[in-house]
Amino acid sequence: MSAVTFSQVTKRYKDGPKAVDALDLEIADGEFMVLVGPSGCGKSTALRMLAGLEEITGGELSIDDQVVNDLPPGDRDIAMVFQNYALYPHMTVRENIGFALEVAKMDKNEAKRYVEDAAEMLGLTEYLDRLPKALSGGQRQRVAMGRAIVRSPKVFLMDEPLSNLDAKLRVQMRSDIIQLQARLGTTMVYVTHDQIEAMTMGHRVAVMRNGILQQVAPPQQLYLVPANLFVASFIGSPAMNLITSEVTVERGEVFVSFADHRVRLAPGAVERYPGLLERHGSEVIFGMRPEHFALAGDIDVADDQIIGVDVDLAEAMGAEVHVHTRFDIPPVSIDGEMVDPDDDAVLDGTPIIARIDGIHIVAMGEHIRLALKTHLAHFFDPADGRPLR
Amino acid sequence: MSVKRKGPKATAVRVATYALLITVAIIVLFPFVVAVSTSMKRNTDIFTYPPSLIPRTETTVTDPELGFDSATVYELPGRDGEYALVEDDVPIAEFRRLDDPEVIIARPPTDGLETDRTTVVDGDEETVYLLDVDGEEVEVFRARLTVGGLFAPLDGEGESVVELVNLATPERIFGPRFENFSEVITEKNLGRSLTNTVLVTIAVVVGQIVTSILGGYAFARIDFTGRDKLFLLYLGSVMIPFVVLIIPLFQLMLQLGWTDNLVALIIPFVFTAYGTFLMRQFFLGIPKEIEEAALIDGASRSTILWKVMVPLARPAIATLATFGFLYAWNSFFWPLVIINSGNPDNGLLTLTLATLGGRSSTDTNLVFAGAVLAMTPPILVFLFAQRYFVENSASSGLK
Amino acid sequence: MADTTVTGRESPAVGRRDRGPAAQDVQRRLPLVVLWHLGGVASAVVMMLLASRTGEEELPATIGVFLRVFAIGTFIAHAAAAFGVQQRRRWGRTASLVVSYLTFVVTIVAFVHQLDGFTAIGKLGEGLSKAFVPFLVVSVGLLWVLLAGQIATNRPTAPGPRLLRRAGWVVAAIGSAWFVVAADPSGLISVVLERIVQPVTIATLLLAAASFAATRFMWQREVGRIFGTTASTERTLTGLAFLSPNLLGFLFFFAGPVLFSLIVSFYDWKTTGTSRSFVGIDNYTQALSLDFASAPAANAGVEVLKSNYQVLMHLDWFGQNWVIGARDVTFWLSLRNITVFLVLAVPLSVLPALGLSSILASQLRGMKIFRAVYFIPSVAGVIGVAIIWGQLFQSTVGWINYLIKRAGDILPFVDAPAEGQAWLSSNSTALLAMVIVFAWMSFGFNTVLYLAGHQAIPKELYEAAEIDGARAWKIFRRITVPQLRNTTFYVLITTSILALQLFDIVWILSTPQPGGPDNATMTPVIALYNEAFKDNNRGYASALAWVLFAIIFVFTFAQFRRDREGATGGMA
Repeated sequence: MSAVTFSQVTKRYKDGPKAVDALDLEIADGEFMVLVGPSGCGKSTALRMLAGLEEITGGELSIDDQVVNDLPPGDRDIAMVFQNYALYPHMTVRENIGFALEVAKMDKNEAKRYVEDAAEMLGLTEYLDRLPKALSGGQRQRVAMGRAIVRSPKVFLMDEPLSNLDAKLRVQMRSDIIQLQARLGTTMVYVTHDQIEAMTMGHRVAVMRNGILQQVAPPQQLYLVPANLFVASFIGSPAMNLITSEVTVERGEVFVSFADHRVRLAPGAVERYPGLLERHGSEVIFGMRPEHFALAGDIDVADDQIIGVDVDLAEAMGAEVHVHTRFDIPPVSIDGEMVDPDDDAVLDGTPIIARIDGIHIVAMGEHIRLALKTHLAHFFDPADGRPLR
Repeated sequence: MSVKRKGPKATAVRVATYALLITVAIIVLFPFVVAVSTSMKRNTDIFTYPPSLIPRTETTVTDPELGFDSATVYELPGRDGEYALVEDDVPIAEFRRLDDPEVIIARPPTDGLETDRTTVVDGDEETVYLLDVDGEEVEVFRARLTVGGLFAPLDGEGESVVELVNLATPERIFGPRFENFSEVITEKNLGRSLTNTVLVTIAVVVGQIVTSILGGYAFARIDFTGRDKLFLLYLGSVMIPFVVLIIPLFQLMLQLGWTDNLVALIIPFVFTAYGTFLMRQFFLGIPKEIEEAALIDGASRSTILWKVMVPLARPAIATLATFGFLYAWNSFFWPLVIINSGNPDNGLLTLTLATLGGRSSTDTNLVFAGAVLAMTPPILVFLFAQRYFVENSASSGLK
Repeated sequence: MADTTVTGRESPAVGRRDRGPAAQDVQRRLPLVVLWHLGGVASAVVMMLLASRTGEEELPATIGVFLRVFAIGTFIAHAAAAFGVQQRRRWGRTASLVVSYLTFVVTIVAFVHQLDGFTAIGKLGEGLSKAFVPFLVVSVGLLWVLLAGQIATNRPTAPGPRLLRRAGWVVAAIGSAWFVVAADPSGLISVVLERIVQPVTIATLLLAAASFAATRFMWQREVGRIFGTTASTERTLTGLAFLSPNLLGFLFFFAGPVLFSLIVSFYDWKTTGTSRSFVGIDNYTQALSLDFASAPAANAGVEVLKSNYQVLMHLDWFGQNWVIGARDVTFWLSLRNITVFLVLAVPLSVLPALGLSSILASQLRGMKIFRAVYFIPSVAGVIGVAIIWGQLFQSTVGWINYLIKRAGDILPFVDAPAEGQAWLSSNSTALLAMVIVFAWMSFGFNTVLYLAGHQAIPKELYEAAEIDGARAWKIFRRITVPQLRNTTFYVLITTSILALQLFDIVWILSTPQPGGPDNATMTPVIALYNEAFKDNNRGYASALAWVLFAIIFVFTFAQFRRDREGATGGMA
């Protein structure tokens, strides 16, 4: 029964800016919740408020229906893994893991068993009597985790624990953490800026930006039904292509025009976004994920769903090829973000990345024909960045 | 390291550099060498000219066969070999040559054949004697009768001779007199001063460490209202020289009844703004996450301080301890004010030395022995601890 | 990761600490705290009565005044606390905690004082001298423990260090027992036993216990909850608690006395506690007044000056004879002397340090040794050093004169002074001798300061200069010295501040009495000492101290401003 509830929680600094703005978030018992967003979005601050390391300026934070705003960290029955592990440098692994138990004046023998159990679970048994400086990064990270699990807390907090590891180790630790949480069943709040981590690890993912919660949903849903432009462009790698287009409706068929291209939308698109039919002549933001493209010969689409582009760059990724090109229209700004008119990006137009099957060999400068799977496309209202209704 | 110029000129520069450094080192160390040597000399040895660095004692010889019983060994003018002084206060006549009145010949008064001739020396009429000098008969007159010493040859060969003692040069060899050190401790009451100084120094150092750790931690990590203003106040206190405090502090000691008592040297100095800064700076350098982790682990501030922060602060504590030690061990002004100079029980090393070594000092060798005793611990402590604080001034980062 | 059963066990319940007594218990006991504070009020009244009853005979005036002020303060504080707690006001808990804690500190201190506990620390000297050997044993034991501890941390698995450590504790324990026996505390114990049964002592002890209990009680989390405490209040209380020993000592032994000194400087105060009359700034004018008078002849005397002025010096200016008089000639002479000293000693202490540090900062071998050697004079202790130099400067058999003579024999151009130059007893050279001693003592320390400054110079500057073909001297002049500007400033200031306070060297070396010969080595601090403790003019001496402070302050302020203006390099 360890649910966490943020109720209009706000963190405001003395000079004025709000790091977290009226956050409403409910985390269920046993849930693995990931907070993700670009730097400065407030995810770490929210985590630290949950830990009791930052004071809450407004709103109420509860753990298990108990308001904990004024409860010091040591009394909240939580455990935290820091980005740079924060191990006690002068203590052995055993002493590091056992420190909290020592503070709680647990019987020494009992504490010893807990420590050894946790060490065994993390594969640290042979390092128990070493000092942190004699351990590798991955081992230190596991000690930090051992320190957390030995206390069997109500909530685990993790602040970007994998960002200091190399790529291969990161992948392995990711799966270790997932399995650990599944086995222990403890509520986990995990902060990361890496959306791949977010997508693979969380039961639900909360996307934050500038202190405001954008959307909280299971990963698939974030991917398939983004709540706004920001989430749409943040989730998914490479990012979704956002193209400013003009809608024309002719005889019940919807067309989108951008740059020199005019594409007819598949019926599936119109089914998902009936509002398009009312939008003749207006601008919409046409969102196509890279995987919504294909080389014209690979799938069966009508000619008016194919465009020809010049390849700026082709990245051979193995299983697929990322084709970079651009449309000669200004790129989409994500509500409020002003694109600098002097910025070269504007002059270069909207960058587009398309994924095609890896078997093709595409050269720089080549002119290719891309098919658009428009039935999978997303459409957004340029006025508010919301999905088109 | 960039490529260095090679060749004779560069070598010459390097040699010159080392020569300079060594010269300066000699200038620095020379007074200490003098001190050590003086501390091991006999008192009479100190006021010799030219001054010498080597403590010497006179050699004595004991040989029952030849009749020597701790007889001092001398060299006599105009004679080879060494002689032992066997008898003192032996009557001696001082003869001087008529042709060279500057030369003194010391002989037993019975030596010398009296003639009936006389001569005038400096307006006095003197009887002429005939003296056997190295097989030659020389005309001499008797300048005076005095006493001297009877010297027997060391090897037992040859005749004993008489000679004026002050013309004989004692044989001196390297002989440090270690008794100086024990004497200064017992006779001159330096022993008590030494233990007092040890007591005061330890108390001050321990006290400073404890209060500075507590205060430094509070300033560094606990964000309480008014902290910064209070810290500024502490900063400002460094600007006030101790001179301003002397009179009111003395008054306070009077009211508390602490005058002429060692406690007045301890308690007021247990609180140090400098020490608080040092610990504060150091604690600020420890990553915040470590404390946050400990807070989450449920540790109280006190536990965090003593179990986590302090073990990490060893260099800073060592620095503080060293400076505190040097300060307490060498302090002079305040003890001078507060401890009655006549009191033999409550003196400190510095005070006792100052009294001993004052203008009317008699046993200079003992004074120097005391000074060497007083200076050795700080130098040793410094040499031992210098790796901590000489590097500490440049880098304060942890890990 | 292996399979295990951490989840199978019960949670260790860490973090869900036992919160202490339930809310009702606390509520029930709060009135006791109010009662306690009322008791505090009562004791304040008692104190007041005590203070006024005993009058001038029993307590010196200062204590009486102090006691009265203290009684009033206690009265108000405890009353306010009682009120705050009773009414459950937000600030009530804070007030109660502060008041109880301070009461505890005061009563504990008073208790120890009653038992002569403080002076007993001084008497410990006697015990230590009797039991010095066991003390050494204990020290060895403790050092042993420390060293073994160090080894243990570096090699945590080896059992050896741990055993060694235990052995060290045993040694220390044995030594301690021996120490107690040898130090013979019987006298101390009898005094304690005698004092402890006196009513005042018992009363203070009870008060201390009560205030301790009250503080402990009010500190509890539960109480905090009742009074609606916030995280920031908790932090403030904790912070002040940690700071309190330091802060109280600071206030009592530093801030208080400084204030007292300032106040007293406006009084004419001869000896302790008796006559004290307010004289305003008279002390300051006495110290600082100068009179310039033109004189008919070159050695005119007091007659041309105003009354109360003595002759300070004669001047021949534009053909006219002037006499400068001062009311406190000694003090002005000391100012003159210290200025001369400053001008000579500071460059001599700083410039060699600058040069040497540049050599030491290079990577030549053995630099660390030289650095350590040069530092030794700074740590050896002024008194010992001064005594040594006293002997070196000895006119007949001193090494200085001897070496000069030998140099004169060897080098033709060295014009050795007549043999037997009496360095310390002749006006012209006494101060110079002290300059030499001071510089010899200080330059090593300054060298180390400069070394730290060197570390802050980016290596690339030197590399660029080398590539540009600059030679050593040019690099030194155009790069090193300017980069060290901040360090130089700092070194100059700190050395000057030390030089201005010259005392110890003068005390040991000057003959016939401190400040001699003929006041040639009189320094401001020596003058102050004489005024305060020989002539007993405490008020006047305090004024002198503040004048000296003002002079020194000019230097410290300059340093402070320089620090503020964003120094790069310079001292951390």
